[in-house]
Amino acid sequence: MIRVQNLRKIFKVHRKPPGFAASVKSLFRRDWIDKVAVTGSTFEVNEGEIVGLIGANGAGKTTLVKMLSGIIHPTAGEAEVLGHVPWKREDAFRRQIALIMGQKAQMWWDLPGADCFELLREIYQIPPEQYRKSLAKLSEMLQIGDEMNIQIRRLSLGERMKMELIAALLHSPKVVYLDEPTIGLDITTQRAVRDFLLEYRRTNAPAMILTSHYMEDIERLCERIIIIREGEIVYDGSLKRVMREYAPYKQLRLNVHRSSTAPLDLASLEAMGQVIECDPGSLCLRVDRDKVPEVAAELLRKYSVIDLSIEDPEIGDTIERIMAGKADGIR
Amino acid sequence: MIRYLRLYLQFLKFSFSRSLEYRMDFWFRIVMDCMFYLVQLVFFTILYQHTDLLGGWNYDQILIFVSGFLVIDAIHMTVFSNNMWWIPILVNKGDLDYYVVRPVSSLFFLSLRDFAANSFLNLLIASGILCWSILRYPEELGTSNLIWFLFLLINGAFLHYVLQMYFQIPVFWTHTNRGLITAFFSATKLMERPDKIYPIWTRRILMTVFPTLLVIALPSRILFEGPDPWLIFWVLGVTACSFLGMRAFWNLGLRHYSSASS
Repeated sequence: MIRVQNLRKIFKVHRKPPGFAASVKSLFRRDWIDKVAVTGSTFEVNEGEIVGLIGANGAGKTTLVKMLSGIIHPTAGEAEVLGHVPWKREDAFRRQIALIMGQKAQMWWDLPGADCFELLREIYQIPPEQYRKSLAKLSEMLQIGDEMNIQIRRLSLGERMKMELIAALLHSPKVVYLDEPTIGLDITTQRAVRDFLLEYRRTNAPAMILTSHYMEDIERLCERIIIIREGEIVYDGSLKRVMREYAPYKQLRLNVHRSSTAPLDLASLEAMGQVIECDPGSLCLRVDRDKVPEVAAELLRKYSVIDLSIEDPEIGDTIERIMAGKADGIR
Repeated sequence: MIRYLRLYLQFLKFSFSRSLEYRMDFWFRIVMDCMFYLVQLVFFTILYQHTDLLGGWNYDQILIFVSGFLVIDAIHMTVFSNNMWWIPILVNKGDLDYYVVRPVSSLFFLSLRDFAANSFLNLLIASGILCWSILRYPEELGTSNLIWFLFLLINGAFLHYVLQMYFQIPVFWTHTNRGLITAFFSATKLMERPDKIYPIWTRRILMTVFPTLLVIALPSRILFEGPDPWLIFWVLGVTACSFLGMRAFWNLGLRHYSSASS
């Protein structure tokens, strides 16, 4: 559904040193620098797949989404979405996609949602019967009732986002771009939006690209993630694989009786793995995945253990390390 | 075409409900525009106390010319003005995104989505002034003259919008166009005067490069002197070419649209 080949975007940015003199100088002569937003991205997204696009602020996620939705032209490279080149902006292409940006409203501020949907019906030429069914289904899924008849500006942020989702999906798009759809929402609404997206994916099977800074969005919605660092894709694969490849260790956490026969001996613990925490009565060790059974057995044998847990490291921490270029093996 | 008409009807419906939300603004705009009309009429009335002819036109003719200009201004204020005001803001803030992804002409959408319902009353007032000035005209004006005048008047309002767009579109590159818009409104003062007051070369420029005289001066001349096929062809031809050029310029601007960082 989405095929991207060596897509690049370079923005020309005017560089101005601070101060009045520099401002005057820039009136006559300007220094332009090339800011590489996306550098040679290549990937594919299939029907029914939700791909999480992850990266720090300014990594190039939104630029990539904007190129794939046809908003901006790339500097080089190719992309094909549903058989169309997005930036040619053919109507046949635009009728089949949807874009939801958590930080930008698409609804008309002074009008009730119902009026906005009516206008969108006209824009997308949705047949009346399909429109009626689609609206009823989406509002039921998002539990929207009377709010549809209230001006958008009088709704809460959460209600507005639900309206945005209805507005974006009324025409049953085959490709959906979600740029930080849960930003600023409370936990309950975030959960409702996630549940809705999963249900929508189950019933409609569109290809979805999601950008988010909330790891919970990624963990709940995406089986596959693409990590971008400074415009470059540094990881493209399953969420499980990222843990296997970039977090090749587990954390062993144990509580021991203070009257334990053997005191917690730092030197012997360090021989087993990296000591993260070592207090009287509690211990946390980072151990290579393949040594976990051996180390756990050793700890159980040596100490009087009250409780032992073996945990995967936080996925957010692992991804953060990849984004910062600190994880082993990244390009 | 029918699809766009239906879409425009939706724009009208929404604009009316939106305008009626803000009552003060609704009445304030009507009063302000009426004052503008009065100033225009009084200006020429005082001028004709010192002369009988201006650019070959007497006071009765100039009244029709000025009223025609007021109608064009009212059409512009009602149909295009709000939209023109928004375009640079939307481009600069990166808010054009949602207009670009919709399966509808972004030029159509952004030029017509906001119908200033509160200026619509002014359009009726200006049309009333035009009817009055035509009815009080001492000589008989032929039916075909009148029909062509009204047709070219509407064409003039469209041309006025097209010309303004040429000054709006550079915002894709310059990111601010306040200077250009000020220049446009200063330059359009030229169309508020009879064409024959200008020297021949200025007139040629104002009929080709920056064709403001085609907005109301030439339609008025056709009303008084009869429909000249060559002149009508020229007015419509230049309008069509200006529109096509503007549309190409708009598409070029969209290619350079860089949106905004999130």
